[in-house]
Amino acid sequence: MEIRTPLRQFVLTELIYCDDINVFDDDEDLLEAGLDSMGIMRLIMFAEREFKVTLPDTEVEPDSVRSINALIGWIEEHRK
Amino acid sequence: MNLLTAILQQVEEYPDAVALQDDTHELSYQSLALKIGAVCLAIRKAGVTPESRIALAMDRGIDATCALLGILAAGCCYVPLDINSPEQRQQFIVEDAQAAGIIGTGQCPSRWSNCNWIDFNTLTEHDCQFPDTGSTPLAAILYTSGSTGQPKGVALSHRAILAFTQWATHLLALNSKDRIASLAPLYFDLSTFDIFSSLAAGASIDFVPKQLAMAPSRLSAWLAERNITGFYTVPSVLGFMALKGNLAETPLPALRVLLFAGEVFQTEQLKRLVEFLPQTRFYNFYGPTETNVCLYWPVDAERLVDLKPIPIGKPASQNQVKMNPDNGELLVKGPTVMNGYWNEGRLHPATDDDGWYATGDQVSINNHGEYCYHGRLDRMMKCSGYRVEPVEIERAIQNLDGVQMCAVIGIHDETAGQRPAAVIVANTECSIQNLRKTLATLLPAYMIPSRWKTVPALPLMANGKIDYSALDNLFA
Repeated sequence: MEIRTPLRQFVLTELIYCDDINVFDDDEDLLEAGLDSMGIMRLIMFAEREFKVTLPDTEVEPDSVRSINALIGWIEEHRK
Repeated sequence: MNLLTAILQQVEEYPDAVALQDDTHELSYQSLALKIGAVCLAIRKAGVTPESRIALAMDRGIDATCALLGILAAGCCYVPLDINSPEQRQQFIVEDAQAAGIIGTGQCPSRWSNCNWIDFNTLTEHDCQFPDTGSTPLAAILYTSGSTGQPKGVALSHRAILAFTQWATHLLALNSKDRIASLAPLYFDLSTFDIFSSLAAGASIDFVPKQLAMAPSRLSAWLAERNITGFYTVPSVLGFMALKGNLAETPLPALRVLLFAGEVFQTEQLKRLVEFLPQTRFYNFYGPTETNVCLYWPVDAERLVDLKPIPIGKPASQNQVKMNPDNGELLVKGPTVMNGYWNEGRLHPATDDDGWYATGDQVSINNHGEYCYHGRLDRMMKCSGYRVEPVEIERAIQNLDGVQMCAVIGIHDETAGQRPAAVIVANTECSIQNLRKTLATLLPAYMIPSRWKTVPALPLMANGKIDYSALDNLFA
C-alpha cells in the first residue's frame, strides 16, 4: 500500500491548510507550517489506523514528524 | 492579607528550601524574596505608583515568576502578555490595560520605546520590605478572546485569586514536600494554582520544558525523574500522555495529584490514564477565567464509562452556583468571581445586582447532584483549551484585502475539542494561503482557521441573519 498520497492528503488538508497540495515540498518543516501537539496526536492516530502500524511511544518526537519525508520514513520503518 | 503574605511566611520559615526550579537552575525561597525585592525596587524607581498595571513581556519560567511576584510586591497588578502572539495584539493589550510599565528582558523593543521599560536582566537582588496591600486591589488582568472582536481583560483581585488558591491548597493538602510541575502560560488562569497554591504551601515549582508537550514519553520520563507530586494542565496534554506516554514502562509513584481544566477530557482517554496511574488522585476543575474554579469533580474511576462525558461536579472555592431553569445556563456567585472586565483603563462589572455571573455555559444536574457541562449558549468555542470568540476571527478576516464577507464556526476535532473554520466570500484573485499569512500577523496561532471554504454567498436565515448551522454542512 502506498502511503505518501493519503498521508500528504491528511496532513496538508486536515492539519495544516495548504492551498495547493501539489506544490508542497515534502521536505518542508511541518512544525513551522503550523503542526502543533494536537495535530501530531491526530496524525499518529490516523497513521496507526490507516496504515496498520504501531508507532512506539518513545519515538513520538518533533523530529519524527518534522516533514512529510521524515514521517514516511518513520511509518515505513514500522511497517516492515 | 494578600497573595504574597503566605509566600513571605515560607521565606521566613524555610529560607533555604527550593521555591522555583527548571532543568538548569534552582532558586531558594530566600533568593526568590531578594529577586522580588529587586523587581519591586525597580518599579518604585521608575516612578510607577501602587495600583498601576504593569505588563509582563516574559515567557513562563523562573524569571517571569520573580517578575510577576515583584509586580505584586510593588502593589501593582500584573498583565501577562503572550510574547509569541502577534505584536499588534500585544500592543492592544498594553494600551487597553493602560500599563504604567513593561517588564521584559534585554533591550526595549522599538514599538514600546515610549513606555517605561524595565529590563529584568539588569536587576540585582535586593532586600526590600513589602507593605501588605490587603486583598481588595486588583492583582491580575488576564486577557482572553472577546465577543466584541477584541481581546478583553478579566480583572481579578488578590481576594479572588486567593479564594481559589487557598481552597486548592487545602483540598490537595499541598505541603513543603510537594513538587508541582508547571506548564501553563502566565496568561492562563491555571498558572495561579502553580504559583500561588504551591508557594503558599512551601512547595517547589518545577517548570516543564515547553518542547515536552510534543514528546509525551519524554514528558512522562521527566515527571518521573523530577519526582513530581502534582500537575495541573489541560486534558490535551494528559490525553497525549495516555495515548503515547510510555506509561506502561514509566510508573509515576510520586505523582499524588493530577488536575485538569480548560476543555472536556475524553472519558476513554481519562480512563486509560487512570488505569496507568492507580495511585494518583484526579480532579476535573471547571470554571471560565471570570470565575476561576467554581465547580470540581474528584474523578471516581468506577464511574468512568466510555462515551459518557464526566461531570464538572459540585461547588468549589466557597462559591454558590445555580442553573437558570429557562435555558440551563450556569450562574456563579462567590469569592473567586472576577471584579469585572477591564476596558480602556477602567473596570466594567459583569455580574447582576445580586452578584451572579452568567457563564454562558449550558449545564444540567445529574442524579448524584453534580453539574454536567453541555456546551455554550453562544458561539464561543474552545480550541485546545483556549477560548475563542468567532467574532474576533471574523472581524480580522473581514478586514483583509479581497474578502467581502466571512463567517467562522467551530468544527469538531477529536483532539483539540474544536477548531475554527472559516467560510468566506472573496474576490477571485484572493488566495487563502496569503490570507492565512496576513492573519498570522494579527491573531495567535490557535485562532487561525484550520479549514477554509470559499462560497459565492453566505447562507442566510429568513430573518437575514447568517445561518451558522448550514455552514456546518460545508465541512461535513
